[in-house]
Amino acid sequence: MTALGNIAPAAPEVFMAIAGMALLMIGVFQKGDATKLVGWLAVGVLVVAGFLVLMAAPETVTAFNGQFISDRFAIFAKVLVLGASALSLVLAMVWLAQEDMKRYEFSVLVVFATLGMMMMVSANNLMALYLGLELQSLALYVMAAFKRDSVRSTEAGLKYFVLGSVASGLLLYGASLIYGFSGSTSFPVLAEVLSHGTPTGVIVGLVFVMAGLAFKVSAVPFHMWTPDVYEGAPTPVTAFFAVAPKIAALALFVRVMMGPFADLVDQWQQVIVLIAILSMLVGAFGAILQSNIKRLMAYSSIGHMGFALMGLAAASPNGVRGLLIYLAIYIFMNIGTFAIILSMRQKGRAVEGVADLAGLSRTMPGMATALTIFMFSMAGIPPLAGFFAKFYVFMAAIEAGFFTMAVIGVLSSAVGAYYYLRIVKVMWFDEPVDTFDRPAMTNQVVLWGSAAMMFVLFIWAAPLIAGAQMAALSLFPG
Amino acid sequence: MAGEQIAETGAVKAVRWAAVAVPATLAVWFLSMIPAVESAPIRVAWDWVPTMGVDLAFRVDGLGLLFALLITVIGTFIFLFSASYMKGYPASGRFTFILLAFMLSMLGVVTADNLILIFIFWELTSITSFLLIGTDFKNPEGRRAATQALVVTGGGGLALMAGMILLGEAAGTYSLTAILEAGSIAGHELYGGILVLVLIGAFTKSAQFPFHFWLPQAMAAPTPVSAYLHSATMVKAGVFLLARLHPVLSGTPEWEVTLTLFGGVTAVMASVVALRQTDLKKMLAYTTVMGLGTITLFLAGSGEAAVMAAVTFILVHALYKSALFMVAGTVDHEAYARDINRLGGLARAMPFTAAAAALAALSMGGLPPFIGFIGKELIYEGALEATFAAPFVIIMALAANAMMLGVGLILALDPFWLNRDRRPHLGHHGTVHEAPPSMWAGPVLLSLVGLGLGLFPGAASKWLIGPVTAAVYGEPVPVSLSLWHGINAPLMLSLLTFALGAVVFWMRNPIRRGVAGVLWAMPGSADDVYDAFLRGIHAMGRGFMRAFQNGSLVGYMWTLLAFTAAVLWATLIGTGALANVPMPSQLPDLFLYEWAVVGLIGAGSIVAVLAASRLLAIIALSGVGSGIALLYVFFGAPDVATTQLMVETLLVVLLALILLRLPGFRVTEKGWRRSGLLDGTLSVALGVAITVILMGVTAGTLDMVIPDFYAQRSVIDAHGRNIVNVILVDFRALDTMGEVTVIALAGLAAYALIKLRSDGDHDKIASAPVTAPEKNRETV
Repeated sequence: MTALGNIAPAAPEVFMAIAGMALLMIGVFQKGDATKLVGWLAVGVLVVAGFLVLMAAPETVTAFNGQFISDRFAIFAKVLVLGASALSLVLAMVWLAQEDMKRYEFSVLVVFATLGMMMMVSANNLMALYLGLELQSLALYVMAAFKRDSVRSTEAGLKYFVLGSVASGLLLYGASLIYGFSGSTSFPVLAEVLSHGTPTGVIVGLVFVMAGLAFKVSAVPFHMWTPDVYEGAPTPVTAFFAVAPKIAALALFVRVMMGPFADLVDQWQQVIVLIAILSMLVGAFGAILQSNIKRLMAYSSIGHMGFALMGLAAASPNGVRGLLIYLAIYIFMNIGTFAIILSMRQKGRAVEGVADLAGLSRTMPGMATALTIFMFSMAGIPPLAGFFAKFYVFMAAIEAGFFTMAVIGVLSSAVGAYYYLRIVKVMWFDEPVDTFDRPAMTNQVVLWGSAAMMFVLFIWAAPLIAGAQMAALSLFPG
Repeated sequence: MAGEQIAETGAVKAVRWAAVAVPATLAVWFLSMIPAVESAPIRVAWDWVPTMGVDLAFRVDGLGLLFALLITVIGTFIFLFSASYMKGYPASGRFTFILLAFMLSMLGVVTADNLILIFIFWELTSITSFLLIGTDFKNPEGRRAATQALVVTGGGGLALMAGMILLGEAAGTYSLTAILEAGSIAGHELYGGILVLVLIGAFTKSAQFPFHFWLPQAMAAPTPVSAYLHSATMVKAGVFLLARLHPVLSGTPEWEVTLTLFGGVTAVMASVVALRQTDLKKMLAYTTVMGLGTITLFLAGSGEAAVMAAVTFILVHALYKSALFMVAGTVDHEAYARDINRLGGLARAMPFTAAAAALAALSMGGLPPFIGFIGKELIYEGALEATFAAPFVIIMALAANAMMLGVGLILALDPFWLNRDRRPHLGHHGTVHEAPPSMWAGPVLLSLVGLGLGLFPGAASKWLIGPVTAAVYGEPVPVSLSLWHGINAPLMLSLLTFALGAVVFWMRNPIRRGVAGVLWAMPGSADDVYDAFLRGIHAMGRGFMRAFQNGSLVGYMWTLLAFTAAVLWATLIGTGALANVPMPSQLPDLFLYEWAVVGLIGAGSIVAVLAASRLLAIIALSGVGSGIALLYVFFGAPDVATTQLMVETLLVVLLALILLRLPGFRVTEKGWRRSGLLDGTLSVALGVAITVILMGVTAGTLDMVIPDFYAQRSVIDAHGRNIVNVILVDFRALDTMGEVTVIALAGLAAYALIKLRSDGDHDKIASAPVTAPEKNRETV
């Protein structure tokens, strides 16, 4: 054990790695169809990992010779990631059954992708960062192309893979430049070295690293894969893409910027402000014309990432807190919406047009009400949780003096509200065309649970905010 | 209402009637607060989000109480009215609940004691208003109006949120009580931003020019909604906010000029357009806009008279306008028409409604002894004391009041007393009945309240206007309203108003034609601007799509790299690193064969870019690699060179093996218009940036710790003199094994895939049924 040091802080990750491989074995050797069994086991693995994360001591501890760090920030982000993964996996299993897709690999890939995300969140070293990022990405590439007899799905997978590889390459190049100019890949050592002065090579390296990370959070102008992949990938994969990897990548982004490069804030802040603004604008304007709801959600997620990045741009504890609150609320809004998108089936066939929602308020008033709640929440209209999400990042941006960014944020929320409301209008005011099949029980549970969270997180916001506050403060020593 | 009648259950009916109890109870409750509030505001608070200073705090002071009373008292009559009016409407139960939700949100706006809380309730009123306007979802006009109202007021609400956050920042607290106690923040550096954002919020909500267009469109809503939201309460939220924040924001030239201009323009524009309308509801809608403009105009001032005029007019306007709206709804409901050109002679059939209309219209026209008269006198008093552009304010007020009297006369006389010949064409087969008492009770009582307050101005000033003026002005103000102030300037202006108003009524038909002509000649209305704005947003969206989201991988890659290059260059220039890069002052002194190798590398790169086949590109790239290996040889590193050559060779062989089996190399990208110039610029930008960085790297001193370590240890530990080899196979043997395994596996996988394909099995894979797990496992 001495060679590895104390690996206890990484217990959830170790457990997941072993469990993931075990699941693969079960799938391979199980006689007959193992999809359901492996699927539920995978959900169990994610839940157990969640408990392990929560049971860990909240103090800041490292493992693997300082490559891995566990602190309140990591715990907060991991709980979000695991929750998002588990919820989307549950939805995906319904879909696999509906599409009669008997492939247990899906669940295994989710477990490994999630493991990669947890490594990202806990990365305390450029190498650990890359390891987690690639573990996640490789699993995601395969998932995007999971429906491999569909041209759109394979195209999505290939596009994601090619662009993702370029982004990874940029990141790696940047990481090696940083190492070359500072002599270390460890975050604490980098922070120490950079507090004494900044070699230009490190700044250049940071530019590349930021490009790679911005790609992973699909911030503009590294977002172009998002609409194509969201539309092409199987819907449950899109649902998964929209939540878990986003959280992990943003958390990693925050950790990298606020940790080793905290002293370079003047160098990177402008870039983050720029990509946040661009993301909000493209998210808002891009979504208006979309007739495919998955594509619309892609733009919506780009916009949301822009809002969350406002929190990072503020580079303050309040900014990070706003970002974490944003992410927590974002999960429920998205999972709930995707539970509805996954329930959009007519006579056993999935549909994904915005127009297919016409008159939903009359054919399925419950579902229409729930989707209305999510749309209003995404638009940031009280009394729904989405309001607090936006409120805290706006506030952090204003406190940090970024008035232009805040104003552009307000404008893009207004445009965003317009297209979210278009969906509401279609559901409530348009003539029904065709009814949907009765949604699966699981979808309904997820959907109403998420809808309830929109109110719970609004009315009873204090615990979430307190948790996010402590998580954010753990990144700011002293 | 000429809509389809649908059978309704007793439960829905019961809901409609029972709902009346809610505002009635609340009204009694708020009435009971009057004595307490006269001395000091009532305040209650619970913690909500303490970390942010957002509390669930409520405060009832004079201003809040006036609005709360308007909301609940008028609300009682509205619910009573709608219980009969909404009979037969689809989903009237849902309607009733949303209307209740609206009422509670509106009460929240006027009683909240926290900026964020105000905003939350504010948005809730926008949403409920959206749902209420769209009640009749079969009507496309109503759907458009609902969306438009929400886009305008919701968008304004977001501006308000930003304004509230800024105000909270500036004041250091979100508590309204604390902010009001601290007084004006006019000197703060954020004042300008706060003012603009708060005004956008207030102007959109209160339909001030140029955001006024949504309100007349919103008349597509059922009449109770128009009467309640769009005249008496919700649209007043904007002016409420202006009044609420008056002690904090007013008193500066910015405040005074902006409010005077926007309020004045709104008032006059709306009263002119009102004269052009023939639809009763549209006419009332424009006079509402006019009233809101007048209130804004007087909130601009910071003198006692102006403030008193504004708050009195809020009360006056709410009383007569809701009554008139209900009258319009009753007429529509019974006579099946609400166009002034079709209505006439209804007074005999509908005596109570006609009486209510007359009373309310007289108050609206500002005739004594109604409260409207007192309101008008105060307006003139305020106008005469205006510190900014007093003549403008006086003329605005005079014009608006005269036209209001004209419209009031039209509303009171035309449908009821004149044009009796039209009556046989109205109603159900020419018979018109009086509406049930639940519908005329409200208008009658509300207009009688207007009369009563006019007759007993002392009560009004002590219990209502006094506390309100104090709350808006910031400190207690002696208020004594009365009908008769002696012969003074306001009275003269009133007499002038009566004369002008009579002329307007007399000339109503020519004026209507004239205004219609002028409006027709105008280039575009604000509503057109709204449409153009939406079209613009759509066009922008399309532009974005075309420019960036064309589905082309090459295009995506280009954008990605271009942004990276831009940021790189910005960094290089911004940090001043570019200036520090050592530039060779002359060409290096090289041997000819060295130049030849450099030439080989350059040529290889160019060929690789221009190559028309994959194989050629690979070979050209391997030329580059070999050239670099040669450079290693020249500069005394044969071990590195050997490794480089081996890897190069291996890659070429592997890639060639694979590529030979692939179909031909074709440019299939169509979406992205390839431009050699653009691509070239990007390559040069990136290439030069990397070169500059590398030159910077090589210019620095190299840390020799690691090279020295290997130089010392390689013979001792690994018995090898080729350091690179020793590192690869000894010090990092595990790494190397891993790499070799990866390459071998990749080669195998590629081979397997290609073999599958060349076996003529292509179609089978593509269509492999997903339902056959065994088969899938084989092909994976």
